[in-house]
Amino acid sequence: MEMSTHQQSFWNKYIFSTDHKVIGMQYSIMGIIMAGVGGFLAYIFRYNLAYPGQSIPLFGHLAPLQYNAFVTCHGMIMVFWVGMPILLSGLGNLLIPIMIGTDDMAFPTVNMLSFWIFFVSALVLLTSFFVPGGAFGGGWTMYPPFSAGGYLNRNPDFFKALFSGTSLMILAVALEFVAMLMGGINFVVTTINKRAKGMTAFRMPIVVWFLNIASLIFMFSVGPLVAGAFMLLLDNVVGTGFYDPNRGGDPILWEHLFWFFGHPEVYVLLLPALGVLAEILPVFARKPLFAYKPIIYLALVSAVLSVLVWAHHQFVSGIDPRMATFFSIGTILISIPFAGIFLSFMATLWGGSIRMTVPMMWAIGFIALFLIGGLTGLFLGSNTFDIYAHDTYFVVTHFHYTLFPDVFFGFFAAVYFWFPKFTGKTLNAALGKLHFWCTFFFFNGTWFLLFFNGLHGQHRRINDYSSFSLINMEPYMTFEKISTICAILLILSQFIFLYNLFTSLAKTKNPELTKNPWHSATLEWTADSPPPHGNFKVYPEVYRGPYEYSVPGEVDDCYAQNVPGPSFENNENL
Amino acid sequence: MQIFPENVSTYGQKIDDLFWLTLVFVMIAFVVSLFVLLYPLIKNRQSNSPKAQYVTGNKMKNFKWVLIALIALLGSDFVILYVEHDTWTEIESLPAKADVHVGITARQWNFIFTYPGPDGILGTADDVVIDEMNSSLHVPINKNVVFELRSQDVIHGFFLANTRLKQDAVPGRTIIRWFNITKEGKYDISCTQICGILHSKMRNFVLAESDDKYKHFTDSLYSANSHKTASN
Repeated sequence: MEMSTHQQSFWNKYIFSTDHKVIGMQYSIMGIIMAGVGGFLAYIFRYNLAYPGQSIPLFGHLAPLQYNAFVTCHGMIMVFWVGMPILLSGLGNLLIPIMIGTDDMAFPTVNMLSFWIFFVSALVLLTSFFVPGGAFGGGWTMYPPFSAGGYLNRNPDFFKALFSGTSLMILAVALEFVAMLMGGINFVVTTINKRAKGMTAFRMPIVVWFLNIASLIFMFSVGPLVAGAFMLLLDNVVGTGFYDPNRGGDPILWEHLFWFFGHPEVYVLLLPALGVLAEILPVFARKPLFAYKPIIYLALVSAVLSVLVWAHHQFVSGIDPRMATFFSIGTILISIPFAGIFLSFMATLWGGSIRMTVPMMWAIGFIALFLIGGLTGLFLGSNTFDIYAHDTYFVVTHFHYTLFPDVFFGFFAAVYFWFPKFTGKTLNAALGKLHFWCTFFFFNGTWFLLFFNGLHGQHRRINDYSSFSLINMEPYMTFEKISTICAILLILSQFIFLYNLFTSLAKTKNPELTKNPWHSATLEWTADSPPPHGNFKVYPEVYRGPYEYSVPGEVDDCYAQNVPGPSFENNENL
Repeated sequence: MQIFPENVSTYGQKIDDLFWLTLVFVMIAFVVSLFVLLYPLIKNRQSNSPKAQYVTGNKMKNFKWVLIALIALLGSDFVILYVEHDTWTEIESLPAKADVHVGITARQWNFIFTYPGPDGILGTADDVVIDEMNSSLHVPINKNVVFELRSQDVIHGFFLANTRLKQDAVPGRTIIRWFNITKEGKYDISCTQICGILHSKMRNFVLAESDDKYKHFTDSLYSANSHKTASN
């Protein structure tokens, strides 16, 4: 096996790299860039919501169709070009090989191809903003016949239809799925085949488990959507009628295919970030992760349930009302494994010896915000209340309280935690804490009051509420302004992070200080900082689970996975 | 500040009550969870608690606390489901007695209202169709108004917030729903599915009137249309 000594050209080392760490960073950087695009779109339409019709600084006047396109693309970008690359591909690539104690992915070249297909998908998406007619503006759920029947891009010419905003969006999503599938297959094959000696399934860190479960959920659920998207593309470019009721098609078919994927997708995004919490909380509580094995079983249960709840997005869509009870019960049931996982995380803190470091603050902030997001789901899981709340800002606020902590708090927790390992440099902790408090405060400022707007009947995707007497009144319009101001400040707060990132990267490497700064027990901390191509000088051997902190009778409160000694596994049976 | 817009329907209060009941469970869960999260951050800081306890949580002795919490959550979920189920059935199925039939057809970008004409039956030659932006659907108060919801083009959403009723209008399907408004007034109907450039302007009204006023309105509507061929 080739080890860390060989020299590579800049081109092979940083651009067309097959090194899982470089690919992970490429995915993460691409995710950050796309988050900038998605955030800028959010700024534009949030400004418009607070001050409808006024010229927007750095942009200008926002036309109604642009508004539709921007809310649509904001959702698409944040889910598929920020959440997925950062949480699934970024973390998966960075962490899986090194945490299971191997040199690289099972298929490094496929891995490189995966990133470059993803890169092309992002370019296709960005291109769609500049084609005639503009980017796709039919909502991120792309419900036909609006997205299919020529309502957005009325063009009989095949090539013009193919290069319309709608078709480019479908192509971009399809390419993105191809990239994620390649990555997912790589993760699963690598985890099954390339674990270090002694790294049994139940000695793997939770984040590795969860990245694999997330990849499997993605693979199981994406097939029907790819088929559905192909039909949507045909409806658009060659004029088929799969979703056209006048020609025997059915728009509800798309809703089923979309949500059969769309709901599991939220768990694809959630599980990797929960895995990050599972790595961070034990380290800074100096305590084993509470209920390691039950957490894995709960996640597996949630993976099965995740494909049985999709129609709770369709309670008012015209499905048979008798079906709703089944999906309501499914929704209730799937809240149980996730509640169990969060409770186990909280229980990890009890009786610990807690260090409030920057990654720990992001992890705690994640749990606190997700608590609001998760509990407001209780209202929406009830099909009856959903008759009223569906498509209102109550729903929008609910999912921002789940996805924002998930994607951004999860990501920042991971960055502040693993940055020293993968760069050999340290981030400034004071700036990290400032970044945390600003983000936490302004996120709540952006969203919390909008729960009230939603409960008062404010419906989604409207660029100007002046026609609607229930919303065009106080205090709801003031809440819109507060939300917009906080959203702008929330975006500006991220420059603290960027400043911290760039000034820290400009420092010289300190391999000693960054080798294991948190005194952590998993394998990545035994490699050099930054780990060379190939990760380990000598392949590690694993003797125990990943969270053996504060073992009674030991002087050192961290019993690393690769130190010879007892396994403690006789303690681990429920 | 009122949380919900004024409820004017027979079933709307049940949805509001469901919200308040759920809120009780949610607030209990929120306060307990927040305590469980924040208490150790104060109590078990490194300065207070230099040595952590070794608890794996894999034994039932410890894990039972999580199970108890999960059972409590599941229990409150099923209480909510039990309470709401009758309301769901009431709203989503037809009332025993339909007093008024109307047709509502969504299109880009307004709702078209079809009155059944003097015979009271939709789909006959004497139907009267009103197709205007910002027009009002006249209905009598305290009557079960049953409507057939359709769409001419794309998916729209029919949302009458003051009755708490929402239903997507799907092309190719006829969906039958009902409401019974108990108070005179003019209420917004808004479209809740993104449907194009004027989605934000897609707003009509329901004008709920006393029986007399409603009869007066339909009489003059039908007599004005009696000499024309119905345009359905």
